[in-house]
Amino acid sequence: MEHEEMSGGGGGGGGGGGSLRRTSGRNRKVASKMVAALASTDNRTQAALARLEALENDNAAAEAAIEVNYIEDDDDSFDDEEDDQVYAKRQSKNTKRKTRQAKALDAKKAPRTFMELLHEANLEALPPHIPSYLRAAVGPPSSTSRRHFCAVCGFTATYTCVRCGMRFCSCRCQVIHNDTRCQKFVA
Amino acid sequence: MLSNNSNSVVVLDNGAGYIKAGIGGDRDPKIVVPNCIGKPSSSKKFLLPDQLQSHDDLTSVSIRRPFDRGYLINPDLQKEIWSHLFKSLLHINPNNSSLLLVEPLFNLSSIQRSIDELVFEDLGFRSLFVADSPSLVHLYEASRRPDGLISRAQCSLIVDCGFSFTHAAPVLQNFTINHGVKRLDLGGKALTNYLKELVSYRSINVMDETFLIDEVKEKLCFVSLDVDRDLQIARKTGKDNLFKCMYVLPDGITHTKGFIKDPNEAQRYHSLQDYSSTLLPGTNEEVGQLEISEKTEDRKKIDLTKNEFHLTNERFLVPEMLFRPADLGMNQAGLAECIVRAVNSCHPHLHPVLYESIILTGGSTLFPRFAERLKRELRSLVPDDYQVKITTQEDPILGVWRGGSLLASSPDFESMCVTKSEYEELGSARCRRRFFH
Repeated sequence: MEHEEMSGGGGGGGGGGGSLRRTSGRNRKVASKMVAALASTDNRTQAALARLEALENDNAAAEAAIEVNYIEDDDDSFDDEEDDQVYAKRQSKNTKRKTRQAKALDAKKAPRTFMELLHEANLEALPPHIPSYLRAAVGPPSSTSRRHFCAVCGFTATYTCVRCGMRFCSCRCQVIHNDTRCQKFVA
Repeated sequence: MLSNNSNSVVVLDNGAGYIKAGIGGDRDPKIVVPNCIGKPSSSKKFLLPDQLQSHDDLTSVSIRRPFDRGYLINPDLQKEIWSHLFKSLLHINPNNSSLLLVEPLFNLSSIQRSIDELVFEDLGFRSLFVADSPSLVHLYEASRRPDGLISRAQCSLIVDCGFSFTHAAPVLQNFTINHGVKRLDLGGKALTNYLKELVSYRSINVMDETFLIDEVKEKLCFVSLDVDRDLQIARKTGKDNLFKCMYVLPDGITHTKGFIKDPNEAQRYHSLQDYSSTLLPGTNEEVGQLEISEKTEDRKKIDLTKNEFHLTNERFLVPEMLFRPADLGMNQAGLAECIVRAVNSCHPHLHPVLYESIILTGGSTLFPRFAERLKRELRSLVPDDYQVKITTQEDPILGVWRGGSLLASSPDFESMCVTKSEYEELGSARCRRRFFH
């Protein structure tokens, strides 16, 4: 049981699924792989960043379908290049029902995100005494301690999920976490 | 229907969340509408902000905003909204009016250029003045109390907690001290989205219900004065749990708006006395046990009706993010530290005055007990011999606009503006220098 879970963790870290599951004979290998996956924390930080990024979304990512409809049958300019909409765009290209309007929309330049505009403005090049958007950011907190809240119920969490690093507070929440959320956010 | 007054000044606080627009000199803006267009599931096409506001079914609205992270990224969409606003709602003719526009701090020059184009070339305003929100808030508060500290010292610290971000900005002699401004990348939008995520994960999927959850946030969230204690209370069952309350989602038949099931229940947390309540640590385990049994019961109840959800600790953990963004995994200091850093980057002579004239503005400061909590956190960070005094605005959402209205009605306003011919002659960048941003 434990091995299975561990190999699942290693597989998830490498971006794969159940096909990477191994028998107990390869226990060692699996463990080292998992250690590597945990040490890199790449997936975890990515997921954490994606979560923060999602807080600035206007529409939930699940709304891609609606966006597709919009592109097909509405008469307005194209919106921001958010991930879901890029996806939507690709989808709309695949669909056969592509109207003239939709073609015109594709041709029209899509507005860029603020991050792109910021990058373009090249504020890093400004001399250090000039205040700018980048220098106004408040910066990291003075104390590095952070409180942890259970991802399931919101109360103070004492345990960390070995696979994805999210927090939970009790066995009950762990079960719910494993069933619903654990590693499911990694796209 | 166009206004006959040829000297009207349009004051436009073009926030990422709400547009506040009206005529300079008035006390309140004529129009406060969301700065977005949206398509409800019941509608075939996108609705403009005022139509959206009066639309009675706002479930599953797909939203498009001209703003991203607090800055204008889609001038075309903004143009559409603005032209509708000026023509059909404010009834003014841009050709014979001036515009006082409130822009976010540190606006990028490429965005400024596109705004200038929009104002002069597309809409054809006679002249333009660009202001930033901290200086307008300072102006308004100073004029309200001519003998108060803020107007005597001519300086204040404005904490603007808006839709996309929060700024702590020192203002001196009506000018924002740009090198002292500190920004926290959290605002009302992130809070709403966070609440959305929590509710969707824990009870009902509301990921598409931005307007609904906005309202839930405004009505039910509050700032906790002692998170640990409140978490303990939120664990309790039955009547002891002062935070638990139900919110009923619209069903589209009997009611099209969501509502709080029992308003009295929602207000119970006010009865909570500060720190005085003592908790018996020995009973925790028992409480946990009870909670589990009740939760399963609750879940059954919710499954039956399917259109309501309850909130407990979410009510204070959501605004809590502003004070501790690190809890979310953000590498940013909390609001109190943000203020301290903003003050520290000013001249030491200003420190005592700034701490004594902190002004809160922006919609996200409307959470109950916001100021109290902030004061408490600041007190432990500010040197003992300085006083900490926090002023809350009468209406934090309209505060900036009122300052703008005041400025627009001052006699030398026209002379501070950039006129259309100046813009045509000098171009955007050189005109902008006049505003000292």
